[in-house]
Amino acid sequence: MMVLLLLSMSFEAMDTPNDGGQSITIIGRDIPTDVKKILVFRRTEKDTVYKQVGFFSLLSMKYTDNDSIKDGEKYFYRLGVVFPESTFYYNITKPAVSTAQWFNRTRAAVLMYLILFSALVLLFIQLAKRNPEGLFIRKIPALDAIDEAIGRSTELGKPTFFVHGLMGITDAGTLAAITLLRRVAKKIAEYDTPLLVTNFDPIVMTASQETVKQAYTEAGRPDAYNEKNIIYLTYEQFGYTAGVDGLMAREKPGAIFLQGYFFAESLILAETGHAVGAIQIAGTTATVQLPFFVAACDYVLIGEELLAASSYIGREPVMLGSVKGSDWGKAVLIFIIGAYVTLGTIAGILMSTGRHTLMHIFEKLVSVF
Amino acid sequence: MNFWKRLIRIDRRWIFLLVWIAVTIPLLKPIGLPVNVTPPAKNLYNFVDKQKPADKAVLLIFDFDPSTMPELLPMGVAIMRHCFAKKIPIILYGGLYAPGAGMVEMALREVKSDFPDIKYGRDYVFLGYVPGISLVILSIGESIKGTFRNDYYGNSLDTLPLISKVDNYDGIGVAIDLSGSSLPQLWASYAYQRYGCRIGVGTTAVSAAQYYPWLQTGQFVGMLGGLKGAAEYEKLINMNKIPTGRMAATIGMDAQSIVHLLIVVFIILGNIGYFVIRKAERKG
Amino acid sequence: MHISTNPWVWIAAFLTLAIYSFLYKDNPFYKFAEHLFMGLAIGYGAVILWYTSIIPRLWDPLAHGTSPMRFFLFIPIFIGLLTLGIFSKKFTWVIKYPLAIYIGASAGLSVPVTLEAYIFKQVEGTILTRAMVNNWFLGISNAIMFVGVLTTLVYFFFSKEHEGFLGKSARIGIIFIMVAFGASFGYTVMARISLLIGRMQFLLHDWLGIIK
Repeated sequence: MMVLLLLSMSFEAMDTPNDGGQSITIIGRDIPTDVKKILVFRRTEKDTVYKQVGFFSLLSMKYTDNDSIKDGEKYFYRLGVVFPESTFYYNITKPAVSTAQWFNRTRAAVLMYLILFSALVLLFIQLAKRNPEGLFIRKIPALDAIDEAIGRSTELGKPTFFVHGLMGITDAGTLAAITLLRRVAKKIAEYDTPLLVTNFDPIVMTASQETVKQAYTEAGRPDAYNEKNIIYLTYEQFGYTAGVDGLMAREKPGAIFLQGYFFAESLILAETGHAVGAIQIAGTTATVQLPFFVAACDYVLIGEELLAASSYIGREPVMLGSVKGSDWGKAVLIFIIGAYVTLGTIAGILMSTGRHTLMHIFEKLVSVF
Repeated sequence: MNFWKRLIRIDRRWIFLLVWIAVTIPLLKPIGLPVNVTPPAKNLYNFVDKQKPADKAVLLIFDFDPSTMPELLPMGVAIMRHCFAKKIPIILYGGLYAPGAGMVEMALREVKSDFPDIKYGRDYVFLGYVPGISLVILSIGESIKGTFRNDYYGNSLDTLPLISKVDNYDGIGVAIDLSGSSLPQLWASYAYQRYGCRIGVGTTAVSAAQYYPWLQTGQFVGMLGGLKGAAEYEKLINMNKIPTGRMAATIGMDAQSIVHLLIVVFIILGNIGYFVIRKAERKG
Repeated sequence: MHISTNPWVWIAAFLTLAIYSFLYKDNPFYKFAEHLFMGLAIGYGAVILWYTSIIPRLWDPLAHGTSPMRFFLFIPIFIGLLTLGIFSKKFTWVIKYPLAIYIGASAGLSVPVTLEAYIFKQVEGTILTRAMVNNWFLGISNAIMFVGVLTTLVYFFFSKEHEGFLGKSARIGIIFIMVAFGASFGYTVMARISLLIGRMQFLLHDWLGIIK
């Protein structure tokens, strides 16, 4: 009986696939369920004695040996299979040699999609550089609200606030917010409403000052620009929040723009803005904070809408091309999901009638991911 | 009408007072509402449980600071109790941010006395903070000794038998990240995708909603979400006759349930008030 | 009732109550606690960085090491010091080099894993599998999930006007998005209450000893 069990078992030692070398994997098949443990012994060609290197995993049915393995050297393995009453030794006759692979084949799909996505983005950036007006981006509904909000603020004789988020100038959301600030500042210059811009980051403050100055000049009101209205508060999260809240409570703005990347202070800011009766337009790429803005603000630019809105306004080639490229990348994903689900559903229905071929094909295609 | 107008404009400090009362009374006079265990918590418990027969260790990462301690520390304590009771080797890691090591110390202080036969170096090891975030996760995949060199107490890792046996993810059956931020996604991205180390997560309720897709794809083996998740794990270790200590999360669940009911009442009243006032304004 | 005799517990209780006093009105106790917390967080972080990073990774190998390879550490030290150029208007340009290395290395490390973990694995999870055929509840759940994923992706498609079929799909997508936001909001309310429960447990158990 024991002989039969031993004959049914098999082990194979091979170079660990898709790795950087210095690793050998032993795979086991048909291991009896009453095996208590399996000891792994190893020797090189020059050695005469086997040394224990580890324990074979009975859960995953494999052992990965990367204990001082040298690439190119032959390693011989012996396994000590421990039963409740005896131990048997199994020699793997064929030696294993570890090598490094240049390419991890399990990531082939990732590489293909990366190439495709990068190509789309680069293509659209080039198209945007040649003809920015030729690339269509639909209008985001919240953009109409900008004029409405500033108009309301002007009628009430109250200032407009633009509150930046808590990330630096390298964040995409902050860059999009600065583009939006230009549009807001230009409108405000035309209506001659006071504008206050609060900043968490000093570099963002510098960029905001330049942006607002330029916007006022474009509107023909360079005299109305006041550098002191674009202020840096503090680099501390709740210090910034307390500062902005205090300004809102004192100045009672008619319109508040909360644009950029926010953290836990998002609801505190939105709530205070709501309490002073301002019309609020928020936009953030921080998905965790979006529920609070949606609950407390009048209009919200959800995630990528903020980036699309700034591309719509600014028509800056890199941002516009990136939005278009990612749009078509999404379209590819929608197609992949739709095609796979259709195939999987048909395969499932056929499987329930006893036909398994299509399901095998489907599962092979899914394993690409 | 005046009632609804006054209700909508109520001073928020009355709301704060009501919430405070709703929290305090159940803590002073416990009701004993049942805690039901959800599949994500059960899956995590079962996955930890099977590390003993697999002869692998659990890597428990304390990626949080005192601001999220009420939700995450009870999870850490419960998982440590589970591992100590079942003699599952556990590597306690102070996390990818500096304050995590202090949280490990607090948990150890609470748990150690109930398990006098647990030996440091053999049954558990405490690794301190090393800067680098994603680089640390990748470096652990190559060698724990190379990444940390010494443990939190300054002992060389060469002197600790557990680390001699478990030097990278191959010896780790599951890495459980306790975090209130997006760090579990980093652990799944680097440790699981690259090295195949299975990841479990204990997270604050703020982040729990965004991790359900990761649970569904199998990138996380199980999840404890917020104080309720911690209470579920406490119930599981209690059901399996493991010393539970004070069960801080379970004690807090009565208060959690009462406050949630109170908030539902507020939402209903607020919405009724909103529609009543809007209707009256349209008429008048 | 067993009031704690540990002075640190008393200090923690005082600071907890000082922070919560803000709920009534801003006051000097709250300001003191907030400033103490800010200073402590910065100081603690600086000390930890010094003793876990600078001393063991830079000072000890250079001052006490024996390997000649240790002098290569001057390369990352120099590159790190270039970031201090931000403080000088004349030499701000030097910060581009460490930033370029950092952003390049981060992008190289993170782009493939992000694609795999955040996109490919999620796409795989969305696609129906064999199990759905046998379990009707799972099948319906996944069908709903499939509709939700596609319509949400359509909502964030900006290259075409939301009209006709696309417009209807986008409207369904926004409903799914709002349901998700509602769930997230509810979870966040639970989280905030949990923090209050944790503090109340500390005050009532650790400080005053009135609960078990």
